[in-house]
Amino acid sequence: MTKQPRMGRQAAVDFLMEYLVLFVIVALVIVTAIVEPRFLSAQNFTNLMRQFGPLSFVALGMTFIIVGGFIDLSVPGMISIVAMVTLSLVDVIGELPAMFAGLVLGAALGFVNGTTLMLAGANTQAKALFITFGMSQIYRSLALHLTGGFPMNWGTLFEHPMPVTRALSSGMWGPLSISFWVFLFFLLVLYIFQSKTALGRAITYTGGNLTAAELGGIPTKRVVVFIYTLCGFMVAVGAIVLFSRVSVTVPTVGTFFERDAIMAVVVGGTSLTGGRGNVLRTVMGVSLVILMSNCMNLLGVQTHAQEVVRGAILVLAIWLDHRRHARG
Amino acid sequence: MDNSDVILSVQNVNKSFPGVRALTDACITVRKGTVHGVVGENGAGKSTLMKILSGVHTKDSGTIVFDGQTVENTTPIQSIRSGLSIIYQEFNLVNTLTVGENIFLGRYAEMNGMRNIHKNARELLDSIGSKIDTHKMVSDLSAAEKQMVEISKALSFNSKLIIMDEPSSSLTADELKQLFVLIGDLRKKGVTIIYISHKLDEIFELCDTVTIIRDGKVIDTKPIAELTRNEMIAKMIGREIENEYPERPHAAGETIMNVETINTRKLKNIAFELKKGEILGFVGLVGAGRTEIVRAIYGADKAKELKILINGRKVKIKNPRDGMRAGVGLLPEDRKLEGLVLPFSVQANVIMSSLWRISKFGFVNASKEKEIAERQIKSLSIKAPSPHTKVKTLSGGNQQKCIMGRWLEINPDILILDEPTRGIDVGTKYEIYLLIKRIAENGGSVIMISSELPEVLAMSNRVLTICEGRISGEFNPETDSAHTIMDAAIG
Repeated sequence: MTKQPRMGRQAAVDFLMEYLVLFVIVALVIVTAIVEPRFLSAQNFTNLMRQFGPLSFVALGMTFIIVGGFIDLSVPGMISIVAMVTLSLVDVIGELPAMFAGLVLGAALGFVNGTTLMLAGANTQAKALFITFGMSQIYRSLALHLTGGFPMNWGTLFEHPMPVTRALSSGMWGPLSISFWVFLFFLLVLYIFQSKTALGRAITYTGGNLTAAELGGIPTKRVVVFIYTLCGFMVAVGAIVLFSRVSVTVPTVGTFFERDAIMAVVVGGTSLTGGRGNVLRTVMGVSLVILMSNCMNLLGVQTHAQEVVRGAILVLAIWLDHRRHARG
Repeated sequence: MDNSDVILSVQNVNKSFPGVRALTDACITVRKGTVHGVVGENGAGKSTLMKILSGVHTKDSGTIVFDGQTVENTTPIQSIRSGLSIIYQEFNLVNTLTVGENIFLGRYAEMNGMRNIHKNARELLDSIGSKIDTHKMVSDLSAAEKQMVEISKALSFNSKLIIMDEPSSSLTADELKQLFVLIGDLRKKGVTIIYISHKLDEIFELCDTVTIIRDGKVIDTKPIAELTRNEMIAKMIGREIENEYPERPHAAGETIMNVETINTRKLKNIAFELKKGEILGFVGLVGAGRTEIVRAIYGADKAKELKILINGRKVKIKNPRDGMRAGVGLLPEDRKLEGLVLPFSVQANVIMSSLWRISKFGFVNASKEKEIAERQIKSLSIKAPSPHTKVKTLSGGNQQKCIMGRWLEINPDILILDEPTRGIDVGTKYEIYLLIKRIAENGGSVIMISSELPEVLAMSNRVLTICEGRISGEFNPETDSAHTIMDAAIG
C-alpha cells in the first residue's frame, strides 16, 4: 500500500525526464514572451522559421546515424564541399541540375564515410568519431582547394536568375516558408521510413546491439553504410538551403553544424548509445536549440555567453541520457 | 592439528552473486612450500575463490587466515603487499611499458629511479633463470616470457604464496617443462604455489596436494598420491544423472550436414556429420574450440577454410545471413551480449530475424509482427506481461526463450544451441530440454554445446569431444561412460 504513491511519483519523474525538452521549450517561450514581447511578433516567427532550415535537415540525417549507434563529425566538411560545388556548377549545368548534383555528391560523400568505416573495421562510436573527424578535414580542405578559398555570392556572381534558390531563401506558400514545407516533407518521409520499413527497423536493431543484430541476420554493415549515405544526402539538402539563406557563401560555411546537429538530436532525447530515438524527438531538439539562441539574442545575451549555455545544455542532455540508462 | 606449517587457511567461506550461490562453506588448508592443485569444472567456483583471496571479490562470510594474519576485506594491492600474488590466465601487464617498468609498476618512487628498476628487475629475472631484456616492451614478448615477467613481479613483492590460474593454457610443451622446473625451484625456496588447471596430467605431475571443487563446494582435499585419475574425474563431475531430463528422442535419419573441413587459427581439420533429427552434443572445456566451430559454421567468424555440404549441396557461408539462408540457426553463447537487444521489447527481439520475411516492398507488416510475437509467447510460454515488455526485465530463462522463439519462427534445418541453459533455473531448463526434443522429433537437427556434462550426455544421440581445437573422439552417450568421455575431452 505504501508503495503506491512512490510508484506514482516515480512515474511522474519518468514522464518529466522523457519529455523534459517539451517542458523546457514551453518554459522558454513563456519566460521570453513576458520579458521581451517582441518574441511573439510575426516578424520574429518568420525569423524563427528561417533559422529552422539548414540545421533541421542536418539533424534529421544525424538522427539515423545516432540511432544506429554511430556518429558523424564530417558534417561541416560535407556542407562546405556540397555548397561550393553546387554553386560552382550553376553556371555550367543550370540551377536545378546543379542542386541535383549537390544532393548526389552529399550522398556519395556519406557513402564514402560509411564504407571507409566498415573497411577500417570501425564498429564503435569512438572509432567513427575519429574517422569522420578526419574525413571532415579532407572535405573542408577540398572545398577550399576547389574554390581557391574565395567566397561565392549567388546574388551577384551569376547571370542565372536562380529561381529555386530564391524560393528556398524567402518564398512563402500559405503561412509557411517554402523551406519549411520541404522540411515537413522530409520529416514525414523519414518518420514513416523509420517506423514502418524493415530497413528503418534494422537501423534501430543495429544501434541497440550491433553483435546481436549481426548474429540475428541483420545486414549491419549495409545498414551502417546506408545511414551514412542518408546523412550525407540530408546534409546536402541542408547545404543547399543554407547557401540560399546566406547570400555570400564561404568555404567554411559548415563550421559548428555537427555540434549543433548532435546537440539537437541528443537534447531531443535520442540516446547517444544508439537504438533509441526518432526524428520527432529531433524536431523537438532542433526547436529548443533554435528557440534558445533566438531568446538569448532577443534578451541581449553576449555571443560568448551563449556558447557557454549551449555547451552546458549538451553536457546536461548527455548526463540525463546516462541517468535514464542507468535506471533502465 | 599442527598449524605451524600452514600458510593459508580458508574456513567456511561463502559467496553469492545475484541469483547464484558461487561458494558454499569452502574450506581449504594450504601448507607452506607445497604445490597445491585446484581442479573443477568450468563455473565450479575456483575463480571466485581465488578472486576472494586476492581481494577482487569480498566474501560474504567465513574466515581466511594467511601467513598467521586473519584477512578481512582486503584489496588487490593490500593482498599483493601481504605476500599473496595471483597470475591470471590472460596476464595483468601493461603492453606499452617495458619489462622492468611492469615488474615495478606503481612503485617507481620507492625504487629510486629507472636505473634501479632495471637493475632489480634483472636480478629477479636472473634468479628464475630468465634472460629477457628488461628494456623490452611487454607487447613484444611471447606468452611464456610474459609469464616469467609475472612471476618476477610476484617475487618482487616477496610473495609467499603465488596463485597460478591456468598457467599452461598458452604455453608450448617445452615452455611448460621450463615452467615446471621453475615451480620446483620456487617450492624449494619455500614459496607456496596454488596451481589451478583443467589438465589433470599437469596436476598429477606437479602437485603435492589437490583440492577438488564442484558446484561451489569443496568436495575433497587429498595428497595426490592417494588419488587416481578416475577418482578425480568422478569427484569433478560428481552429479548423479537423475530424472531431470526428458527421455531423449531417437529420430536421427540420413545425413543433413557434412562438415568436410574447418580450419581457422584455432581449429584444426574439423570434420563431422550431422543427421536429420539428431541431437549432437559437443563436449569440451571452455576455450577448447567448441564455440569457434559452431560460429564458423554459422558464419559469425571468418574461417581460413570452410567446406560444408548441407543436403548434399556445397554452401558458401561468409556471414550470419549466409548461415541463415543455408538453413543454420545459432543461439549464441552469451545471450545478453550476443543474443538480445536488452532495452527492446519481447516482440522486437522475437521478430528480429523475420524482419524481411514479414515485409512487403520494404514495409513491415504490423499485424504479422504481432501475430509472430503472440504465437511464440504462447507456444514457449514466455512469462512476460505483454509483447511490449522489455526483455531486460525478464528472467534468464524467459530471455533465452525469446531467442529460441526467434529461431523457431525461421525454422532452420539445423539449430545450434551454445550453452542454452546457462544461468537458467531448473524448471525452465526442463522446458528448454522438451523444446529441443520437440525440434528433433519434428525432423530438425540440433547441435548442443554445454559445459554441464550430464546435460549433454542426457540429451544427445551422439557426442563429439573437442580438445585444443580438434575433435578428439566420438561417443555414444547411452553406452559410453561419462568417465571415458570426460577423459577424451580433457586430453
